[in-house]
Amino acid sequence: MIAYLANLATIVAIFGILASTLNVAIGHAGIFSVAHAVFFGLGAYAGAQTAMLLVPDPLLALLVAALIAGGLSLCLALPALRVRGEYFVAASLGLQMVATTLFSELKPLTGGIGGLVGIPRPELFGVTITALPLALATLALILLATHLLARGSFGRTLRAIRDAESAAEALGKHVAVAKTLAVAFACAGAGMAGALFAFHMAFVNVESFTLDQSVLVMAMVIVGGTGTLWGPLLGAALLLALPAGLSFLPFIPPTEVGAVQQILYGLAMTLLMIFRPAGLVGDLGRGKVAH
Amino acid sequence: MAAITVENASRSFGGVQAVAGVSITLPAGAVTALVGPNGAGKTTLFNLITGNLRADSGDIRLDGAPILGLRPWQIARRGVARSFQDLRLFTHMTVRENVLAATETGSWFWQPGGRAARATREARVEKALERTGLARLAEERAIDLAYAERKFLSVARILAAEAEVWLLDEPTSGLDLASRRHFSGILREAAQQGKAICLIEHNLDVVVELADRIAFLDQGRVLAEGEPQAILRNPELAAIYFGDRPQAVEATP
Repeated sequence: MIAYLANLATIVAIFGILASTLNVAIGHAGIFSVAHAVFFGLGAYAGAQTAMLLVPDPLLALLVAALIAGGLSLCLALPALRVRGEYFVAASLGLQMVATTLFSELKPLTGGIGGLVGIPRPELFGVTITALPLALATLALILLATHLLARGSFGRTLRAIRDAESAAEALGKHVAVAKTLAVAFACAGAGMAGALFAFHMAFVNVESFTLDQSVLVMAMVIVGGTGTLWGPLLGAALLLALPAGLSFLPFIPPTEVGAVQQILYGLAMTLLMIFRPAGLVGDLGRGKVAH
Repeated sequence: MAAITVENASRSFGGVQAVAGVSITLPAGAVTALVGPNGAGKTTLFNLITGNLRADSGDIRLDGAPILGLRPWQIARRGVARSFQDLRLFTHMTVRENVLAATETGSWFWQPGGRAARATREARVEKALERTGLARLAEERAIDLAYAERKFLSVARILAAEAEVWLLDEPTSGLDLASRRHFSGILREAAQQGKAICLIEHNLDVVVELADRIAFLDQGRVLAEGEPQAILRNPELAAIYFGDRPQAVEATP
């Protein structure tokens, strides 16, 4: 039971990182990316390859994953600078589809459909550890960074761009720089989550980095509350705990858990958007996001 | 001294000549009103000055230095601020954040200058909020403000930005008399402090009350420029403004 809970906590922490970093793009900068799983995948492959080919040092793996995912975030930043709203959603969807195909086909780097197996357990200062403390520490750092970012001038710049891009530019904001930095931060964080995921699972393949995963992370942000600090983490915990909770209910046959889960997800999302459009942690009174 | 000098600027959209060889100066320390019927090219002229649109030809200078071809954020950082007809406030941010954001031109993770610079920026914010009567609403969100308060917020951002050139698109439309007087007082005060203020305005009472000079635009051209009373008494211009266009009106230099 303890191992089960530790596994659940690790996964919640990893998806908490994913949702919190996506929240910087969606909640603060107004960049509705449905390609966050791409950078999760890039980080996972980078972290796994670092551990397999070099050393299973989690700090090095996290750094490499963040650099690669953050660097390749330009693939997302470039369309974000050109288009907004539904046009950007379509562009990021295209990126997600391209990346999924590349993940499947670039066998020397990703292992193809079969993925990468035998990822060693992380060793910190010569001691083999589990991914849980790493995931919790990284989550804490990400939450601290997003909190500082949101309450400072950079957060104001992002929200100004989100609310009225032309007015922000007319007040001297360099929109391209701010958007690129926000996307790089979000994607680097997703990359770190990927490296942690690789260490935790000891196996990664393309199925963890598909559009479904991107949509799930976006749902976590929206359910929890866009633009809030704790909302994305709460959303991640709820959406991951739901299937776990359902599996304990004796009157639902194990073969039907998946279907019931999908129905409940759909119902919960619909009801939430009707009664709490700003998410669980969002400001109830005004139906708008809280900062 | 002319803060903004526009020389023979033109801009067309497809076959439509929105601005056709406009030359105009916006002097420091004066309020200039752009007057003319809808579609005269007034907002397009603003967009050319602020870099939101690029002129097809001509020259635009700020204090003698060319600004044509610069991006809007670069022109803004040189001291040209504008308001929009539809206000474009940062709706989900508080009033204070709206104004504070106007003082923070750095777009990286931090602002230069450390704590001393931050204290200066916050002092500018407080001063702008006091002057516009928004101090009591500082923690309200822009989206929750009444229309007149939103208008004042749009000018509070410019006040706090300490811009030298103010381009205001219909700043007093929809304001009651008391609010309009308050607004006019802010603009007159800024002009006395040496700011170059240019407003697009359809309310001729406001123009007479506030403007030192008028530029009358029609079909992308400046038809007349000068003292408000002289321009507004011109029957041909009045006919154009009120929709009874004569066959030909000579442009005056």
